[in-house]
Amino acid sequence: MGDARVPPHHVDWEPEPEFQSHAHAELPVAGDRRARAPWQHVLKLGVAAFALWFLLYAPTLQHNAQVSPVGTRRTVSLDVTGPVAAISRALQLSHIVSITGRGNGLGGPTGGLTVSGPRPGGPPAGGSRPKSGSNPTSGGAGPTTPTTVPPDPKDPTAANPLRVLIVGDSIGIDLGNALQPDLVQTGVVTAALDGRVSTGLTRPDYFNWPAELTADLKSQNPQVVVIMIGANDAQDFLGPPDVPYTSPEWNTLYAQRVAQFMQIAQSGGATVVWVGMPPMQDAGLNAQMSDVDAVAQQQAVKTHPPVTYLSTNRSLGTAQGGYTAFVTNAAGQVVNVRTPDGTHLTPGGGQVVAQQVIAELQTLGYKIP
Amino acid sequence: MLFPTIDFAIFFAIAFTVNWLLNPYAGWWKLSMLGLSYVFYGWVGWNYCLLLLLTTSVTYVGGVWVNASNTERARRLAMGVSVAALLAILGWFKYYGFVSVNLDNVTHALHMGRAIPLLQVGLPIAISFFTFMAISYVVDIYRRQLEPAKPLDLAVYISFFPHLLAGPIVRGGELLPQIRRRRDPNSIDYSRAFWLILAGLFKKVVISSYVSSAIVTPVFTSPTQHSAPEAIFAAWGYAVQIYCDFSGYTDIAIGLAMLLGFRFPQNFDAPYTARNLQDFWRRWHMTLSRWLRDYLYIPLGGSANGQGQTIRNIMITMVLGGLWHGAAWTFVVWGALQGVGQSFGHVRRKSRERRGLPGVAEGPVRDWVQRFLTFQYVCLGWVFFNATGMSQAFAVIGRLFTGWGEASPLITPLLVITVLGTLASQFVPPLRIDRLQAAFSRQKVAVQVGLLGFALLGITTFGPVGVAPFIYYRF
Repeated sequence: MGDARVPPHHVDWEPEPEFQSHAHAELPVAGDRRARAPWQHVLKLGVAAFALWFLLYAPTLQHNAQVSPVGTRRTVSLDVTGPVAAISRALQLSHIVSITGRGNGLGGPTGGLTVSGPRPGGPPAGGSRPKSGSNPTSGGAGPTTPTTVPPDPKDPTAANPLRVLIVGDSIGIDLGNALQPDLVQTGVVTAALDGRVSTGLTRPDYFNWPAELTADLKSQNPQVVVIMIGANDAQDFLGPPDVPYTSPEWNTLYAQRVAQFMQIAQSGGATVVWVGMPPMQDAGLNAQMSDVDAVAQQQAVKTHPPVTYLSTNRSLGTAQGGYTAFVTNAAGQVVNVRTPDGTHLTPGGGQVVAQQVIAELQTLGYKIP
Repeated sequence: MLFPTIDFAIFFAIAFTVNWLLNPYAGWWKLSMLGLSYVFYGWVGWNYCLLLLLTTSVTYVGGVWVNASNTERARRLAMGVSVAALLAILGWFKYYGFVSVNLDNVTHALHMGRAIPLLQVGLPIAISFFTFMAISYVVDIYRRQLEPAKPLDLAVYISFFPHLLAGPIVRGGELLPQIRRRRDPNSIDYSRAFWLILAGLFKKVVISSYVSSAIVTPVFTSPTQHSAPEAIFAAWGYAVQIYCDFSGYTDIAIGLAMLLGFRFPQNFDAPYTARNLQDFWRRWHMTLSRWLRDYLYIPLGGSANGQGQTIRNIMITMVLGGLWHGAAWTFVVWGALQGVGQSFGHVRRKSRERRGLPGVAEGPVRDWVQRFLTFQYVCLGWVFFNATGMSQAFAVIGRLFTGWGEASPLITPLLVITVLGTLASQFVPPLRIDRLQAAFSRQKVAVQVGLLGFALLGITTFGPVGVAPFIYYRF
């Protein structure tokens, strides 16, 4: 290309009286000192810059592809980034990113730990500030101060609050965003929320929930653990050997992961409440979540002592347990409980499940006002 | 399709090549650009393309109808019906769910039956933006400021992918002539375009993401657990976050359009240097401001009928502008705050002018005091804008009165430097940036490749994995 002449067969562009022809590239234009260039030059420049970036960043892109959901996109990404990453490593170009300390595993999934509620042994809630420990990644609420008679966790006070840990994926975050403030508002509960978007129990290579939960238990020493996880779990286990989601072995392996997770949650003596996935609008995803929920429900019974399994099929669904975007709450008001994606919970939906969890804790004997 | 993704980078390389290869052939160029724009829009769901097609069809028929009407009364009727149809589409997708739930609760309280069915209507991305463009097109024809476009030209105008998702809101009079004319393939202002794209990516991927995760999200999620200084920095931080997010998107859009040979209107002009609310709205989301002015405020009567009606018109315009962002009371309050601030400025200016004084008091100290106070007022509005509900907004504001004397672990030196540095960057004269771009354009190709490649590397290295969608995508 490069010619500014109108092709002879061209008749449908409107005349451009002020059209300026620049036969030579890099000609300065009056009014500024920026050089202009023909489109071919710009294309080459852009592609070369992108290629340089791709070469330097390929190891990180390869890592990101490895931890992405199984499927064609992941396969293609690995096929493309693999050889380039190998070249990048061979030329030691990957060190350029490594020296920033932000190479593989950069950032991880969105989310993190936040803690809210009265400080054990601190001033009563309802003062100028109940507690100042809301700080991502650092637990502000440690174990209770040792006393001669351990306080009864089922009869919490502002001085000896009940310590609750909420963990989950993005739907767990939807619940936690409602449950955490609801619990904290009671003045007798310290609630920690550790939610991680796009995570689950099938892909520890992407996010290792058992290790995360172990760390949370150590920092928070919770007396109650609320878990809502599973929305991303209906996918293949990566091997070797890989275990496809549709294979009979998948259920066995997933049951082991769930059981292990429940046991870790109980390891400090905490009461564990497992909140099931709600009905999904997409029929395929709904069937998958039924599988995931069934496994969790079975393992909840098998674990010693049993884990409390809380189904959300009715609270967030129709009377038959089907999908609905609207439910009527205890006050008789219609509430939109699902986001338009038909998967996640609205703040109102989170509130419905939060109240369900609090009611269950009260049933279990916890005196939460 | 999101701009800061590899998917889009590949898409744009194809679109750029097709754009210039077909540049000599108007028909083929328009068809290809229409196809590419629909692929871009339909990347997350092809059904949305039908909506785009519907809006385009209504707009086309409306424009032709208005133009073909012989009497003023008939023209007005045609314009009114067309605009109502476009607003009905927008209203269905944007407000039906909100209205149906609230109406149902009212009828329930009155022991009446369900008035309208409860339906969850998904909000298609970008619907507000292309509806605004469609309305301006029909109204401009009614005002005889624009001739009806050919169907293909109109379809490209509404769907042109650089502006499609979140603006800038480009008028028919600005973009249609560019669509109809051949662009110069040898004179691409690439240094400015690349600067805009990289600056936009940096603002969005690095600054906005960091400030959001470091202070805004933690404080807004649990405001009562944070100190007053943290609440203040969360409000300032959100001012920085939304500016970097939205102006970053706009910079990228303008830069991409520039690479394709198009010029888009400016959408931001250092808004936090504003000395009053009117000044702020001349600098913030400028294409929305002038849209509201030309298609809402002036038709309401503008400032032609005395101070009382002027204030009324300002308030209506800004509250509706707030509601445009979403059906929530927080947006109503945000819009009302903008209206009150602008009305106050209007009354004060008129009062000063009556006393023979300049409309706005001037002086070095006064300038900075005005800037400081305007910024704080804007931040107050942002608290409502970002809050998920009124209680959250009041909880954040409440910390200003009750949260003193507490530890502020979230206020780190890096956060302070980022927030204040971003605000200070608005005072950098554009001339200096022009010189940088000019210097870049005179470098050897190898140096240019290195600078661009390493700039991209810096942005991706210091940004998070998986960039969140732009805030304005949901409007």
